[in-house]
Amino acid sequence: MLQVRDGAGEMLGVLFDRYQTPLFNFYSKLTGDRTLSEDLVQEVFLRILKYRQSYRPGTPFRAWVYQIARNARIDHFRKFPRERAFEPEMLPPVPPTDSAVEQQEVELLQRALQQLPEEKREILLLCRFQELKYQEIAGLLGCELNTVRTRIHRALQDLRKAFHQLAQGTMLKKAEAAAAENIPPRGGRHGM
Amino acid sequence: MECEQIAQLLPDYLQGDLRPDQQHDVEAHLKQCADCAEKIVLWEKLSLLPIEQPSPASRARFEAMLQAYRAGRSTEPRGHSPWRERFSSWNSFGWLHAPLGRVAWSAVLLAIGFISGLSLANSRSRSQDLAALESQLASMKQMVVLSMLQQQSAGARLEGVTWSTRDQQLDPKVLSALLHTLRHDPSVDVRLAALDALSRHSAQPQVRTSVVNALQDQQSPLVQVALIDQLVEWHDREAAPHLEKLRQSPNLNPTVRQRADWAISKLN
Repeated sequence: MLQVRDGAGEMLGVLFDRYQTPLFNFYSKLTGDRTLSEDLVQEVFLRILKYRQSYRPGTPFRAWVYQIARNARIDHFRKFPRERAFEPEMLPPVPPTDSAVEQQEVELLQRALQQLPEEKREILLLCRFQELKYQEIAGLLGCELNTVRTRIHRALQDLRKAFHQLAQGTMLKKAEAAAAENIPPRGGRHGM
Repeated sequence: MECEQIAQLLPDYLQGDLRPDQQHDVEAHLKQCADCAEKIVLWEKLSLLPIEQPSPASRARFEAMLQAYRAGRSTEPRGHSPWRERFSSWNSFGWLHAPLGRVAWSAVLLAIGFISGLSLANSRSRSQDLAALESQLASMKQMVVLSMLQQQSAGARLEGVTWSTRDQQLDPKVLSALLHTLRHDPSVDVRLAALDALSRHSAQPQVRTSVVNALQDQQSPLVQVALIDQLVEWHDREAAPHLEKLRQSPNLNPTVRQRADWAISKLN
């Protein structure tokens, strides 16, 4: 009896090892909240355990897991309407790369992604990070394949706009900072 | 091409799903249009975003959730799990590791097994419980194997094939997934492992037919030789005409042809 139960646990453990990091990143990049993301990952595995009979063999397993993951998030926000907005300081630090320019670009991109409306951010996360096929995403969102293509394109378009605005803002700030260093304080020349 | 026309093709371009002529059109447009080219660059840069790791406590919470679920509780425990504390007291059973302790414990287990076997035979509801639990376990195993056989990495699929060999009886869905893997998996190693897993289930006529059929569509000499050896091991006389057909196919690797000759002489 105990063996039977341990067997089931061991197998769910294999799934946990495989999916916990991708699921955690899906939630943390959507909400910016690490604690909530960990809670939701636990909820997904509880639901896998509860509803495993509803998985139809032969259908893509990854898509089934993300269906559960989406529902878990929707249910959570229905019960507990959002208290905290996704603030830039909630973003994880970008690890240093060889090139400072590249590191800055990744930081800007991260902020640009965070500024997108949630449904646009979600679709980019699903196809870029969770590696779901467009057909699977269409099933997940309950829409046509062509709609998925259009939405991905629009999300990318918005991402580009947001990235540009942020990049311009940063350049402006840099220019101001550089100017402030070069121009002596007011009255400096005529003082004394 | 205009940006609007490209917009419909761009998502498939990102996944590498376009026909060569469409791919060519998109690439030609990207050379001229900085805006569209930038979308591609941003898409590629998205892969550079940091991957965050969940805290180490996450795994412990998962274990606690599993135990709570097993204990019949549907809600997740917060903080310390009483189950965990109860299990930690098991450490005092160190004597079980001693040889004499093991013998004694085996005897006790045998007695418990015998008695519970008798009582289970009498109690229908308990045996139903056990059956339900076993079927749940089977469905979980099946789910793991099926999900792993669909993974992108060959290593994970290999692991999936290995998992499938843990059971004496093969679930029909797992069986058909393994048969599909044998015929269509891109990795030679995974196909060989699938053949190995299937060889344990030769009693099922479906397995033999599939192995014979796989002979015709396999291109890798390694897999072909393994299939031939398997048919010889099964003394499958019906395979002889198929081997003859394989022998005659043009461009066959000479080693495979030699092996087929040897197999035909063995089977006849």
